[in-house]
Amino acid sequence: MSWNDAAAIGGGLVAGFLSGTIGIGGGLAFVPIMTIGFRMAQPLAQGTSLAAIIPTALVGGITHLRQGNVRRDAAMWMGGGGVVGAVIGALVAVDLPSSFLARLFGVFLLFSAYRIAAGARRPPATPKEDPKPSV
Amino acid sequence: MVPLQVLWAKMPQRQANATSLVAIIPIAIVAVPIYYFRKGTPQVDFHMALFLVIGSVVGAYLGARLLRYIPDRQLKVLVALFLGLIGVKELLFP
Repeated sequence: MSWNDAAAIGGGLVAGFLSGTIGIGGGLAFVPIMTIGFRMAQPLAQGTSLAAIIPTALVGGITHLRQGNVRRDAAMWMGGGGVVGAVIGALVAVDLPSSFLARLFGVFLLFSAYRIAAGARRPPATPKEDPKPSV
Repeated sequence: MVPLQVLWAKMPQRQANATSLVAIIPIAIVAVPIYYFRKGTPQVDFHMALFLVIGSVVGAYLGARLLRYIPDRQLKVLVALFLGLIGVKELLFP
């Protein structure tokens, strides 16, 4: 085992933790680890990230199911729809310039980040009352 | 998928994150052979994937166990920060 392999284990630990907590970590964290950290080419990093996601999502997903975190109906619809989307995407993406796709995805992510952050700023449904001064 | 569930289906952040991770499983299983057998050299480095996975399965288990202890609001901030970071990266260095 080389230093590179050890670094990959460390990077995997961080990416796995993110995928367990925020759900999106897997793919979105694996790819930058490989392209920035290991200087791998983007397509190779994407393919490798997909392979690494399978066991990661299995372990995280089964743990989530046991913890009662999962909406099973939504998971089935999105999983099924995602399979169809992945096949179409793989056929179409080959013919599109990848930098255009990446920028489009970046805009979508920034918009989502803004909207989710706005949701976090909204006051919670049951606001805490100020503690009354004791007499 | 996480933004779609939270913003469109109004799902709580914790459920959205966990559900998205489960839904990724069939998608990745279908997508890997596409990447591997596409014309040109196979775009999957299994040596790299193996060592990433050794760390990531441990991380995924710990993260999934920890999720229920993170309040919805803090979780939203965490998700927004991460999406924003990757969004900027994709825009500037596509």
